Amino acid sequence: MAHISIENLTVEFAIFGASSRSLKNQILSQATGGRVMAGARDIVTVRAIDGLNLEINDGDRIGLVGHNGSGKTTLLRVLAGIYKPSGGAITIEGRVGALFNSHAGMDPESTGLENIYLRGYMMGMGRREIAAKLDDIAEFTELGDFLRLPMRTYSAGMFARLAFAVSTAAHNDILLIDEGIGAGDAAFQKKVRQRIENLFDRTSIVILASHSEALISEFCSRRVQLEHGVLKNAA
Amino acid sequence: MTTAALPKQKAPVTRISAESVPAQAFADLLNGARLYELWSRFAFHDIRQRFRRSVLGPFWLTLSMGILVATLGLVFSALFQQDVAKTLPYIATGIIFWGLLTSCINEGTTVFISAESEIRNLPMPLSVHFYRMMARNVMIWGFNMAIYVVVVVWFGLMPGWNALLFVPGFILFLINAAWISLAVGVLSTRYRDIPQLIANAIQVIFFLTPIFWSPAALPSRPAFVELNPFYHLIEIVRAPLLGEVVSQLSWGLSIGMALAGLGFTAWLYRRAHARIAYWV
Repeated sequence: MAHISIENLTVEFAIFGASSRSLKNQILSQATGGRVMAGARDIVTVRAIDGLNLEINDGDRIGLVGHNGSGKTTLLRVLAGIYKPSGGAITIEGRVGALFNSHAGMDPESTGLENIYLRGYMMGMGRREIAAKLDDIAEFTELGDFLRLPMRTYSAGMFARLAFAVSTAAHNDILLIDEGIGAGDAAFQKKVRQRIENLFDRTSIVILASHSEALISEFCSRRVQLEHGVLKNAA
Repeated sequence: MTTAALPKQKAPVTRISAESVPAQAFADLLNGARLYELWSRFAFHDIRQRFRRSVLGPFWLTLSMGILVATLGLVFSALFQQDVAKTLPYIATGIIFWGLLTSCINEGTTVFISAESEIRNLPMPLSVHFYRMMARNVMIWGFNMAIYVVVVVWFGLMPGWNALLFVPGFILFLINAAWISLAVGVLSTRYRDIPQLIANAIQVIFFLTPIFWSPAALPSRPAFVELNPFYHLIEIVRAPLLGEVVSQLSWGLSIGMALAGLGFTAWLYRRAHARIAYWV
């Protein structure tokens, strides 16, 4: 049974201005006793998530909504283990998969086939698992012989098709999606929909952050709204 | 596809609390190491990618190293009026290991910065990027070692039993290369001047370290040789391969550096690993 429990989660991070990132300023500010150079250490601490409590159960399809900068992406990254909490705790039962930027881990200089493997490894799949899914992925993309060409020769749409096909091939208990999901032209949309439905069916928990009301009302059963890192509305 | 067809696995339980974050630094290093399949494949991919569509492929590495070693060997043996049969093997081994050490350190400075997109978008241990960089450089070193073999055969070098000490020497060498690379990787991600500083420092150290010149040619050993940690690190791998005895001082300093360095890097990684994702 997949389950996510978020207790009093707080995430803070320091944003460094261009000046404080350099060693020179750090040393200078030490040397001058920090008084003259006080302005150089313009470190701003951002509290992206502030005391969040949330229980997510098996079968939940959560639509994560909120304005830009409301903490949606930060929350997803914490659940993926990329950002660490600065206060509180999260407990996750189940294997977590993430679809944040479907191009991450792909190499434009390599062929489509190679990229299926590269992206597959990056998403935590083994060689055998990818080999078993290769035909399904290749067939879905409808790219045919283009799969043997370097991906830099692809159009943006072809690139997106392949990235989408590999990203949706993994199997995890929990799936985190940032900024929607999808690829391809109008005629392709039916296949994309079917693949997303298929993916959601075999995933116990889905958390989808999106600005698209249509997408959320179509795929999600719960709606969680964040505002300034605080839970605004949770149904 | 149905879920029923898949084998039922017990779901792993992960708990991350703010208090447990520093302790996870070691879990990160360990879990990263376990993904050897991932990082060794990517390391191999990096090398293949660099020489894609070239005829010689990665053997360019061997050829470039061969040209460099032959040139330096011939020039310096003529310049210092030394025997080529002694100078060339010395320079070849020195340059090969200097190359391994400094490319680990130089690439270590950008090991997290250049993996920004992967770090921020894919859930996997941070240390994977570090292992990938180390594995890539050890593979490149493998191609370069072909030059050593050629030199040994060409000059009929017989390293003898001393060569066996290469194994512990190389392990110690790699441990030192690893902690330095990881430490500069963390520090460079936070302070962006460090990559430039290190690149320049390495150039200076190259001339101060007996790699293409031998301290045997000097009347007395200056402090920048005797106390140069890079000299001792090179010695523990170079001397066994040339059939010479490694001095006690070199062993001692290298072991001491490895212990102190591992301690320092463990402390640093524990403190900073959780913030790297914000810094990149």
